[in-house]
Amino acid sequence: MPLKNAHTQPHTSAPSWRWALLGLALLIAFLLPWPLSPLWIRIATEVIMWAGLAQSWNIIGGYTGYLSFGHGAFFGVGAYMTGIVMLHLGWPFALGLLISGIAAALMAVIIGYPTLRLRGAYFAIATWAFGEMIRQIATILEITGGAFGMQLPSYLNLPFFYYLFLLVTGLTYLTTYLLLERSPFGYKLLAIREHEEAAEMVGVDTVTIKIKAFALSAFFPGVLGGIYAYWVTYIHPDSVLGAQLTDFMVVMAFLGGIGSLWGPFLGAVVVQLVNRVLWLVWGEGTFYLIIIGAAICTVVLFIPSGIIGLLQSRIFLPGTAWKEIRKKVKW
Amino acid sequence: MLLQSHDLTKSFGGLVAVNQLSLKVEKGTILGIIGPNGSGKTTFFNLITGMLPSDSGKVIFNGQEITKLRPHRIARLGVGRTFQIPAPFSKMTVLENVMVSAFLHTSSMKTAKKKAEEVLKKVGLDEKADFQVLNVTLEDRKRLELARALAIEPILLLLDEVMSGLTPVEVKSAINLIKQMHHQGLTIIVVEHVMDVILSLCDRVAVLDYGRKIAEDTPQKIVNHPEVIRAYLGERYRARG
Repeated sequence: MPLKNAHTQPHTSAPSWRWALLGLALLIAFLLPWPLSPLWIRIATEVIMWAGLAQSWNIIGGYTGYLSFGHGAFFGVGAYMTGIVMLHLGWPFALGLLISGIAAALMAVIIGYPTLRLRGAYFAIATWAFGEMIRQIATILEITGGAFGMQLPSYLNLPFFYYLFLLVTGLTYLTTYLLLERSPFGYKLLAIREHEEAAEMVGVDTVTIKIKAFALSAFFPGVLGGIYAYWVTYIHPDSVLGAQLTDFMVVMAFLGGIGSLWGPFLGAVVVQLVNRVLWLVWGEGTFYLIIIGAAICTVVLFIPSGIIGLLQSRIFLPGTAWKEIRKKVKW
Repeated sequence: MLLQSHDLTKSFGGLVAVNQLSLKVEKGTILGIIGPNGSGKTTFFNLITGMLPSDSGKVIFNGQEITKLRPHRIARLGVGRTFQIPAPFSKMTVLENVMVSAFLHTSSMKTAKKKAEEVLKKVGLDEKADFQVLNVTLEDRKRLELARALAIEPILLLLDEVMSGLTPVEVKSAINLIKQMHHQGLTIIVVEHVMDVILSLCDRVAVLDYGRKIAEDTPQKIVNHPEVIRAYLGERYRARG
């Protein structure tokens, strides 16, 4: 029997225990705010937001194989757009979110059109430069409040934001599942990642498909950024456009396992929880970066398919461990 | 005339890889292209399929000029090609590889899967449909190249050394496969070093040397052509011929 890799596993077998697990996770997610203190609701909210961001990055970085190092910019653009829409235009929050998502996606189309023709490092460098550019622009513009940032109307309702993030992140995963795991679009993206010229030879319009994927991967961070702005009420260039935002999306996706549906989720949970627990123990600091750096080195060197790869390797699948042992040991 | 190239030229720096090459392929025939390594055979394929832009000259396919079209547009018009070094989508299964091609004509997963299974059966890969590409042999990868090209339902098929690296038995079955496709109406251009393949398949053979066409004729006449023997075949072929 051939080994199935992390990607094709869900295609061929979706046993009922997977659905049961998903249902259970959703139930827990819904009930979570009840027993938690406000601090932990905050932390849970962050985890869910990051799960959505990491998955968004995974669409272009994992499924398509184009590493975007400017992805934080879409989050920042979303945050500022919602801020501008609510503060300067006085329009409702929901409309702000929609505009944020569309603005981020449009921006991805504009920068994707020239840069998605560049393979490998060039695309990464171009997106990184784009991210820096957006940050500089936000620092000098008047409408964004420059370096001082922007104060939004405050709405103190922790569960509201928790559920809103849950909804949008849930949509991110649903979209990834339907569009990338179960449709021609996803197959074409994988083909592009595996061999772009060969994909072009069988009629795949690679440039258009890549631009669509990039726009999709920018839309969700735009919306999440909008929610974030209203949630924390005060945004400035370093908080929503800092380089660390992109770094964390990349790190979470890689740690969890890129190009897989649940990898970014696991990565986000692990990284953000570790991050916050260390913060609770040692207070504000950058020590957690060292631990996360070490974790990333370990993953890249020893488990390139991430946590999800570990879980899906035969040894960790329930039932198969026993079969493996039976096969190896001669009775 | 299904495919015509007029004075097609491509150079890389100072090297002229394809030099004013004019070729014609009649509908329903098999054209063989032979020539020493570096004589421009693969570059010619890359020019036809749009993978490389040409410096000058024209390519006309099915009455339409395709010289400046992007590769996927040319594929959609009905030009399929295989790569000399198999270029599979490695982290997908054999079936999924072929499904990508099938999506050219359908956006239904079910139809694409059925189509891919049909094509895999045709090339004898149906039993390995669910294998990861990483776990199949070179011969099977070559078959997969063929399957992927066939699944776009081409009118013209460009085969770039599909036989190289195969054992004599495998070559035989590959020849039968190509003959079978030819009988179903496909027009084919074959680039090949194995002369037996050229002799048993082709209606006409063109010989390239340093990017130029030095001869074009029926296979029987080509093997006795003095220029061809000098540039490519060597004296032993004269003796045999």
